[in-house]
Amino acid sequence: MIELKNVCKNYGLTQALTDISFSVKKGEIVGFVGPNGAGKSTTMKIITTYTAPTSGTCRVGNHDVLEDPLAVRQMIGYLPETVPLYYDMLVREYLEFIGQARHLMNGKFKKRYEWVIENTGLAPVLNRKISVLSKGYKQRTCLAQALIHDPEVLILDEPTSGLDPLQIIGIRNLIRDLAHEKTIILSTHILPEVSTVADRILVVNDGRLVADGSFDDLIQQVTERNSVYVSVKAGKKDFESAIKGISGVEELEFVHDTPRGVVGGHVYFPSKKDILPDLNQMIRDRNWDVVEFNRERLSLEESFIRLTRSNAQEGGDA
Amino acid sequence: MNQDISIIFKRELKQYFYSPIAYVFSIIFIVLNASLYMFHFFFFGNADMRAFFSTLPLVLGLVFIPAISMRLWSEDYKLNTIELLLTLPMKTEAIVLGKYLAGLVFYLAGLAGTLTIPILLAILGKPDIGPIIGGYIGAVMLGGFFLAIGIFISGFFSDQIVSLIITSLACGFLVLVGWQYVPMVIDGWIPGLGSFFYNYVGVTRHFNDIERGVIDMKSIVYFLSFTVLFLYLNAKALERRKY
Repeated sequence: MIELKNVCKNYGLTQALTDISFSVKKGEIVGFVGPNGAGKSTTMKIITTYTAPTSGTCRVGNHDVLEDPLAVRQMIGYLPETVPLYYDMLVREYLEFIGQARHLMNGKFKKRYEWVIENTGLAPVLNRKISVLSKGYKQRTCLAQALIHDPEVLILDEPTSGLDPLQIIGIRNLIRDLAHEKTIILSTHILPEVSTVADRILVVNDGRLVADGSFDDLIQQVTERNSVYVSVKAGKKDFESAIKGISGVEELEFVHDTPRGVVGGHVYFPSKKDILPDLNQMIRDRNWDVVEFNRERLSLEESFIRLTRSNAQEGGDA
Repeated sequence: MNQDISIIFKRELKQYFYSPIAYVFSIIFIVLNASLYMFHFFFFGNADMRAFFSTLPLVLGLVFIPAISMRLWSEDYKLNTIELLLTLPMKTEAIVLGKYLAGLVFYLAGLAGTLTIPILLAILGKPDIGPIIGGYIGAVMLGGFFLAIGIFISGFFSDQIVSLIITSLACGFLVLVGWQYVPMVIDGWIPGLGSFFYNYVGVTRHFNDIERGVIDMKSIVYFLSFTVLFLYLNAKALERRKY
């Protein structure tokens, strides 16, 4: 549906994007993450035809963004990072204007208008001036604008910025509902949001694509070893020798603040080897009471930090 | 294309009537013109509008047209609605034309406000209608031309005041080099340059021709071709901005 090939973008002497290539299939939700200034918005602006790539090609549907921009724009609903609102208009007037500009016929417009209002929760503010709306309502008005023509492709640049937690959940659910019929690219700083909504995550840093894959893939990519926290009722020495006896265990790190008679520690093992069945079997053989058994995994934040940092250390060679 | 122009036109025109600044400038325009004229009217007691049309280019070029055109693109940069407009399934030319026509209609509404003067003259005396009609035709063409310059300049700046000042300088220049004595001074510095400006660039001569009732094809072609040129350049500049 969306295909970028070797896209580069220069702003004067600064290179904003370097050799970005990826493709998004129909119906996929792709999360775009990266630090500020990494090139998320620039990539989105290229897909929506607002800016042109300096080199490389970008196609949406079967249309090239440079050769047939109008066909691309027809397919896309776009929520820019800075909300594009006419402050003197009423919310209703604004949506009507977008409907006309998107060439919606009266019947279709009415249907879509009602759907959009219901799903973005704009009903209470329809007759208010946009300039007096709260940040959340402004954001939602803009989201309504991106959805009103029922586009095949949705490009959402930080769709939940300025919303309160409840509204964020609402928008997340809306995005998930749309998932089956639409191709969606969304960017965000809020990492948990991406992991709950997106099928696939693209990490950009310093204008380069540094990772592409599912949430689990990303974590695999940045961790050389996994760990599990085990705490059982047993003697410390027995515990230590039993754990060390399992093949694959690299390190055992005791935790000292366990209550009397309970021993606990982090067990580290290489990410390519799964020792959990062996560990489980060992504890069962010895009839130890398990107090805690917890698989520890990097949070998306940590893996994100590692991805972007390791990339910087390698001199941007990813 | 036509439908797109009219959608943009309607929205932009509404925006003018929402904006208090536009009203303020219209009132200034009408009051300034009428009062400049009234001085001549009472002093010389002639039932013609020559004095009105002689100051009109300067008032239009320095104040009124830049005030109308400044927001046409600068406001969109500031509100980021430029990103909305240029990702709508519309040709850039259609958006430029829609905006331009909205500015033009607003200008014409302001200009219509000065029609009180010919009405007054018709009641008080027997004015020669020809030059008055000619003068208004000239005013429409001149305003249309300045507005095209204004929208072109507005396409480069996100600050309305900067757009206003630069448009005012550009239009002011075009008016002044068309006055007989300004080119003479320039000729004194660089021989030939002043006459060149006067003959080819200055706007006043063409305006005066039309205003005198001499509707010369040359002057009409001058106004229309430059208007179209600047609108075209405006659309091209906005497309270039992508790169």
